Amino acid sequence: MSAERLSTDPGASATGFRAGTTTYAEGTAARTASLPQQPRPGPVPKPVAGPASDEVGAVRAAAAVARTSDRGARIVAVTIALVWHLAIGLPAVLAARSTLAVPGVVLGGWLLVAALGVIAGIRLLHDTPLPATPLAGLLLAVDVAVFATVGRAHLFSPANWVWGTLAWFFLVVLWGRPVRRLLVLLAAHAATALTAVVLHGATGAADLARATMALYGTSSLPVAVFAGAAVLAALSRQRAATAATTNAMVAEREAAERARHERGERLNLVGRAASEVLTELAEGRVDPADPEVQRRCVRAAAQLRRLIAESDDVPHPLLHELRAAADLAERNGLPIDLVTIGTPPPLPVRIRRSLADPLTAGLADAQDWARLTVVSGPDEVVVSLVTPDREGPDTTGHPPEDDDGQVEHLYERDGKIRWTQTRWHR
Amino acid sequence: MDADALAPVTPGRPVGVAIVDDHPVVIDGVRAWLATEPRLTVLATGDDPDEVLRAAPQADVVLLDLRLHGRLVLDKLAELSSAGRRVVVYSEHSDPATMLAALDAGAVAFLAKHEGREHCVTTVLDAASDRPYVGPALAGAMVGDPRPDRPVLSDKEREALLLWFQSMSKASVARRMRISEHTVKQYVDRARIKYTRAGRPAATKAALLARAIEDGLVRPEEIGIYRSRASTDQPTP
Repeated sequence: MSAERLSTDPGASATGFRAGTTTYAEGTAARTASLPQQPRPGPVPKPVAGPASDEVGAVRAAAAVARTSDRGARIVAVTIALVWHLAIGLPAVLAARSTLAVPGVVLGGWLLVAALGVIAGIRLLHDTPLPATPLAGLLLAVDVAVFATVGRAHLFSPANWVWGTLAWFFLVVLWGRPVRRLLVLLAAHAATALTAVVLHGATGAADLARATMALYGTSSLPVAVFAGAAVLAALSRQRAATAATTNAMVAEREAAERARHERGERLNLVGRAASEVLTELAEGRVDPADPEVQRRCVRAAAQLRRLIAESDDVPHPLLHELRAAADLAERNGLPIDLVTIGTPPPLPVRIRRSLADPLTAGLADAQDWARLTVVSGPDEVVVSLVTPDREGPDTTGHPPEDDDGQVEHLYERDGKIRWTQTRWHR
Repeated sequence: MDADALAPVTPGRPVGVAIVDDHPVVIDGVRAWLATEPRLTVLATGDDPDEVLRAAPQADVVLLDLRLHGRLVLDKLAELSSAGRRVVVYSEHSDPATMLAALDAGAVAFLAKHEGREHCVTTVLDAASDRPYVGPALAGAMVGDPRPDRPVLSDKEREALLLWFQSMSKASVARRMRISEHTVKQYVDRARIKYTRAGRPAATKAALLARAIEDGLVRPEEIGIYRSRASTDQPTP
C-alpha cells in the first residue's frame, strides 16, 4: 500500500513540504486548552466532510425527490383551477351578465381571481409560491363580494362562479401548507355561502339542501387532491431519505472494508519486518547492541503500536491525512509515534489543511524519531509534532492564511526538541 | 475506608514490588528496569495476582498487567485497590477509555508499556508514597476525557496535561507555559488528584487524596469530595 494512495489531497502528502523560518512562540500559555466541551448542537461548518455532510446530503436528496414527485400534482391543481374558471365560470357569468344584481363586481371578481390564479400558479410551478395568507384573505374577500352582488336569482346558478371554482384556487395558494389551513379556508367559504343563502332568504329545505350539496360537491375533490398530494410527497420524501441513508451506510461499510484491508496489508508488512528482526536476534545472527538493529526494533515496535492504536472503522479525513504522512516518513526509516485521542468533528478542507500541513512539512524533515499527537474534542482539535532538534533551518510550513484565524500555529525549537503545534477551535 | 487502610511504607527500607504479568519476558524486562533503582526491590512475580500476593503479602506496590490471559482484569484491579493495595497498572492497551477505567477502578497510576524505564521507576516510587505520577499517555487520556461526569479541570491544568502529553518533556512544557517545571508537575498532579473522585471509592484513592492535602497540593474544598466516613458512596454513573 502506498502512502500516495492513502493521501486524499495533495496538501496531505509530505511532498507538499515548505520550509519556513518564522518562529511562533508568543502567547502559547495564554491559550488555554478547552478540549472536550460538553457536546452542544452547533452550526455545521460548510463545506464539511464525513458523516455530517452525508446526512445533509441525504436530506437534500430526499427533498429533491419529494419536489419532483409533487410537481405533477401541482400542475393538475393549477390546470383544474384555471380551466374550470375559464371554461365553466366565464361563459356562465357572461351569459347571465344582464340579470346579475351588480355585474361589475361579479365579473371584476372573476377577473381578479383569474389573474391571481395565473400568477400564483406560475409561481407555484417555479417553486416560489406567493405568501399564502394575504392571497387566502383576498380570495375570501372576493367570495363575500360575489355572494353579496350575484343576486337572489343567480344564487345557485352557474353564474355564481365562486361555488365551483374558488376551492381549487384555495388549493393553488395553500399548496404544500398543512391541510388544516385548507379546511379552515373551506369552512370560511362555507360560512360565507350559508350566510348569503340565509340573507337572501333561501331558507327553504330545498335551498339549504342545494347549498349543502354544492359546498360538499365542490370541496370534497380539492380536499382529496390536496391531502393525497401531501401524503404522496411525504411518502416519497421518506423513501428517498431511506435510500440515501442506505447508500451512506453502504459507502461507510465500503470505506471501513477498504480501511481494514489497508491495515491488513500494513500489518503484513510490519509483521514481516518485526519477525525478521526477531528471528535474526533469536538465531544470534545480529547483535542486540548494534544501533542499527536497535533502530529496526524501535521502528517495528512503533509501527505495530500505531496499527494497534487505529481503532476507528472509517478514519476521519484529518487522521487519514496525518497517517498517510506518517506512513511516508516511516518508509523513509523514521520511527513515529502517532497517538490520537478523541474523534475530530467534521472540519472544512481548508481547516484540515491548516492543521495538517505544518506537521507534514515537519515530519518530512524529521530525523531519529517523531511524536505526532492529535487531541480532539467537539470544539477543539490540537495537533502536535515533536522531533529532536538539530542544526539547520526551521522546518515548518508557512502559517496558513485562509483559515479566518481559526487555526493557531506555533513552532518553536529549544535545542532539544522542535515542536510544531496547530490548534483549531470553534 | 480511608488512607489508614494502606500499609505505610517503612522509611529506609526499599519499596517492595510485586509484578503480575503473563509474559515472563515482560516480567524479566520490568525486573531489569527496577533493578537499576536501589530504592526498589522485587519481592514476587507471577501471572496470578492472588498467588503473587500470597507469596509477598508485604509488597508495597503491585505492578499489574491489565490484560492477563487474554482478559482485562479491571475487576481484579478494583478488588485489590479496595483492599488497600497500591496498584500501578501497565498495559499495552493505552487507549484513553481503558486508562480512565483503570483510574476509576482505583489504580494509583497507569503506565503505557512503551513509556519505558524512567517512567516506570518514577511511577513505582511515587506510588509507594501515595503520590500520583501521570505519564504522558495518561495525561492525554485525561485531557481528552469525553465523559460528561469527568472532573472539572482548570485551564492551566488542562494546558499542562496537553503539553506534557504532546512533548513528553516537562522542561519544554515549562518553557512553553512560562512557569517552572515544578509548577508544571503541580498542575499535572492536581488534575490527577481530581480524578480520585471519579468512579467507585477505593482506599488507594483516599490515600492519594490525603497525601495531596498533606503536601499542600490541593485544598479539600477544591476537590469537593470530603465525605463523611459513614456516607454510602455511589459509584458515578
